[in-house]
Amino acid sequence: MKYDAIVIGGGHNGLTCAAYLARARKRVLVLERRHVLGGAAVTEEVFPGFKFSVCSYVVSLLRPEIIRDLDLPSHGMELLPLDGTFTPMPSGDYLWRVNDHEKTRREIARHSRLDADAYDEYGRAMVEMGRFAKPILSMTPPDPTSLDPRGLLELLGMGKRFRGMRSHDRINQVQLLTMSAVDFLDQWFETDVLKATMSASGIIGTFLGVRSPGTAYVLLHHYMGEIDGSFRSWGLSRGGTGAVSNAIGDAARGFGAEIRTKSPVAKILTKNGRATGVALENGDEFRADVVVSSVDPRLTFERWIGEKELPSDFIEAVRRYKFRGSSGKVNLALDGLPNFTCLPGAGPHLRGAVSISPSVDYMERAYDDAKYGRFSRRPYMDIVIPSLTDTSLAPPGRHVMSCFVQYAPYDLRGGDWDSQREAFGDAVIDTIAEYAPNIKDLILHRQVLTPLDIEREFGLSEGNIFQGELTLEQLFFLRPVPGWAQYTTPIRSLYMCGSATHPGGGIMGAPGKNAAERILGR
Amino acid sequence: MIRNVRYDAIVIGGGVNGLTCAALLGKAGQRTLLLERRDVVGGCAAEHELAPGFRVPTLAHRTGPLRSDVVDGLRLNEFGLSFMPAPIRFTALSERGPALAIHADVAKAAEAIRPCSVKDAASWPAFARSLSQVAGVAASLFARTPPDVDDAGTEDLWTLMRAARAFRALARDDQWRLLRWGPMAVADLVSEVFETELLRAAVAADGLLGTMLGPWSAGSGLQLVLHEANRSVGASTDSEVEGGPAAVARALGGAAARHGVDVRTGAEVAEILVSKDRAAGVRLASGETFEARAIVSGVDPKRTFGGLCDAEHLPPEFLWRIKHLRARGVLAKVNLALSALPAVTGATRDMLASPMRIAPSLDYLERAFDHAKYGEWSPEPWIEFVIPSVADTSLAPRGAHVLSAYVQWVPNHTGSRELGTGSRMAREAGLREPDDKGLLGNVVDTLDRYAPGLKGLVTAAELITPADLERGWSLTGGHIFHGELTLDQAFTMRPLLGYGNYRTPIPGLYLCGSGTHPGTGLTGGSGANAARVIIEALH
Repeated sequence: MKYDAIVIGGGHNGLTCAAYLARARKRVLVLERRHVLGGAAVTEEVFPGFKFSVCSYVVSLLRPEIIRDLDLPSHGMELLPLDGTFTPMPSGDYLWRVNDHEKTRREIARHSRLDADAYDEYGRAMVEMGRFAKPILSMTPPDPTSLDPRGLLELLGMGKRFRGMRSHDRINQVQLLTMSAVDFLDQWFETDVLKATMSASGIIGTFLGVRSPGTAYVLLHHYMGEIDGSFRSWGLSRGGTGAVSNAIGDAARGFGAEIRTKSPVAKILTKNGRATGVALENGDEFRADVVVSSVDPRLTFERWIGEKELPSDFIEAVRRYKFRGSSGKVNLALDGLPNFTCLPGAGPHLRGAVSISPSVDYMERAYDDAKYGRFSRRPYMDIVIPSLTDTSLAPPGRHVMSCFVQYAPYDLRGGDWDSQREAFGDAVIDTIAEYAPNIKDLILHRQVLTPLDIEREFGLSEGNIFQGELTLEQLFFLRPVPGWAQYTTPIRSLYMCGSATHPGGGIMGAPGKNAAERILGR
Repeated sequence: MIRNVRYDAIVIGGGVNGLTCAALLGKAGQRTLLLERRDVVGGCAAEHELAPGFRVPTLAHRTGPLRSDVVDGLRLNEFGLSFMPAPIRFTALSERGPALAIHADVAKAAEAIRPCSVKDAASWPAFARSLSQVAGVAASLFARTPPDVDDAGTEDLWTLMRAARAFRALARDDQWRLLRWGPMAVADLVSEVFETELLRAAVAADGLLGTMLGPWSAGSGLQLVLHEANRSVGASTDSEVEGGPAAVARALGGAAARHGVDVRTGAEVAEILVSKDRAAGVRLASGETFEARAIVSGVDPKRTFGGLCDAEHLPPEFLWRIKHLRARGVLAKVNLALSALPAVTGATRDMLASPMRIAPSLDYLERAFDHAKYGEWSPEPWIEFVIPSVADTSLAPRGAHVLSAYVQWVPNHTGSRELGTGSRMAREAGLREPDDKGLLGNVVDTLDRYAPGLKGLVTAAELITPADLERGWSLTGGHIFHGELTLDQAFTMRPLLGYGNYRTPIPGLYLCGSGTHPGTGLTGGSGANAARVIIEALH
């Protein structure tokens, strides 16, 4: 049997691409290596009775048009608010920002009146920036080296929109792209903990520190959601992030797509420089007019195509593409709730994110460890306890706690992850215990995912959660490699649709949708 | 008291850019007055006697290099400027092994690299070619006024078209390189090309001079490209100014005098006077005032607007932006008088005449940078040093030598670590004491590791920190480039977007210092570009 399209990988981007293709009446087959759908957006019952969003744990910027087009709510997707970020400090104080602007303003004023005023101005400026940046998410990046007038017109169009902004917004825009998160925030704020906790979003999934240039632009993510009229950009998914993937999968099936799990791909079949199908590890072969890989370029090209089939400069560029996983995940099954010394009790502060980012220097020192090949002794952490909002995830009275941990460099110097895994887990628990000493008594089970585990289990090379670093030289028309940012590849009828393509990672769905549109010739 | 002499232009600050601008204004027939706070002109291009008979380049020990249109336009050769060949661009030292000379000649460079790595030797010519091609695009913009994005005129469009043409003229691979290299970390850039750690670090260091960036900081790739671009617009490639930076100051001073520029030293400007919303003159600290149609500040933007202008004449947002310009000085200078030529490990006599670099690995550079982030100076600093007395024996008594070292990273406001002896102190005794844990002693110790025995040759030493640069040379933050040259502070955004054309919110007030495009050290580029704009405005 021959398909119109085969999508490799049943993560949220692969599924989104498949759903859009199926919606356009194409015969689509999705092949997923694991037994569950979702890729890194997956829910699994790791310990009996405890369900975890194993990797990706919050929903960011899922494109509203995708939710609409695929009617995801009717397929069981429900987004729950994740309200606020709570940052405990070693001094015994804390910073607790919530979605309610006035409340946050008052909280910041407790630390600095000037900063409270600046917070308003900053918010306004960022909303303007978001307005400029948002259309870029759904755009196929043009090729600036080609003489194709369409691409040039698009670049000119961006230039025009840029010129159409007010002068100070233009400056902010350029600064966002080039500055470090801390330098950018320094222009507005003086409170160290505020800058530390805000800048943290700039480093997630990168091998950069908060003081590294190029980390500012991710600050925008927090403000782009607002424009969509949703509650900020971060939310929890009922049933874990796997429920989002399952909803997209259901939608795809509803449009007629066929989805097979436990189907690891061994090879992409080609003939005369054209992709013709896929061979599985068990020897099964499937034919299709178009093959779409939602998997990262290293696996797609180096493993499944092979360098002999590819132009040498392309394969070199794929080899240069930087993954450098820098984060790990620790999932805890708890017998109760952590009690933070600085704000005791099971208050609403536990329903949001808890950020371990007490100062800019703390963040930077965590990065310094990683630069020289060690995991951070005192890491940055973003912690959520989704079972407080979604009781279906844990037995009554018990909780699941998800700790995103940075930095954990894929390449450890002096040791390997298999021998360092537990030491890493201990460093994480010890760090939390400094703020919530009862944590150690609550742990029923713990799952420690190092970058190596993420690579092995989820097929993300070097454990990079975004399928490759989101740094300036790997963004937009440079993602994943120069000259091939239009979801196409040197192999005709082979396309890419994963986070390694524009606009990159996070549960956004944009790469999958953009690629589907490209394939459908729109 | 208003003097009766009425000038067309007053240039504040007699550094290389101020001198260049003033001389070009004078050449164009404008009556020009140059005011310098210090007793000599030249700014960072200066020399002094460290100890009797020992003359050292006070701050800069290399020029930018000086731009060819400046050298030709002002006929600096008639004022004593001459060049001597510099066949070795720099030498990378290693503590044990042989030193690696990076020759200006591509084939020779590859030959010298071969003992380290055959692969790297093979990669060098293509890398050098690509870097120079890519830098050529940046260089094509160096002599232009950055276009105005708000209200693009014919000339602005012409500049943009020129840039687009230069970009298009590149091979496609080089087009991509240009787009990728700028925002990259220079460590990634060199690691993609080379495998030898010493070579990687030596090349990467080009992208780090004077910046608050480490090799792993994104955007340091741009610095490497800009550095190369400077080379390509230099008056004479593969050569150095005879007599060093001070000779440049002398030649520029001569040219300024020839073109009728009044030069006043010891004249500190206290305020830029504004009358009827126009810059109309300056008031000196002495109280004296001067009037002119154009006031040109060679002083850095933060000091110009934050110190010399009354805030009431400037839009609040403009001031806010200027306040947040990043100008974190990180470069310290150490000058030494030596009783004999030191034996530098693995270096030949030819190499001793070239700049020598202590940066054995990328990690070494990054660690040297790490401390600066926390306000501390590095105990194992990156050092580039020259021994100018090798080429010019007149600088020191017979058999003796002077050594000049750039030391990075030394942040302006150092915290826990003691800076040691402080500035401009010749210390003959204390230095040899083993308990000297100050910065100066640490630098000498570091040098001694690469030139064993050097410590025993030191007869006089001085340390100039960023704080000294701020106090003594009026460089805000002690930053040698008047503000960091990062992507968001370059070209049309130098010093600020909308003010990249040497003009300011105050009509009649112009900028001509390193805080404007292209703004890299001691090339005269900013001064020459500004002069063009000012001459046009005065006509």
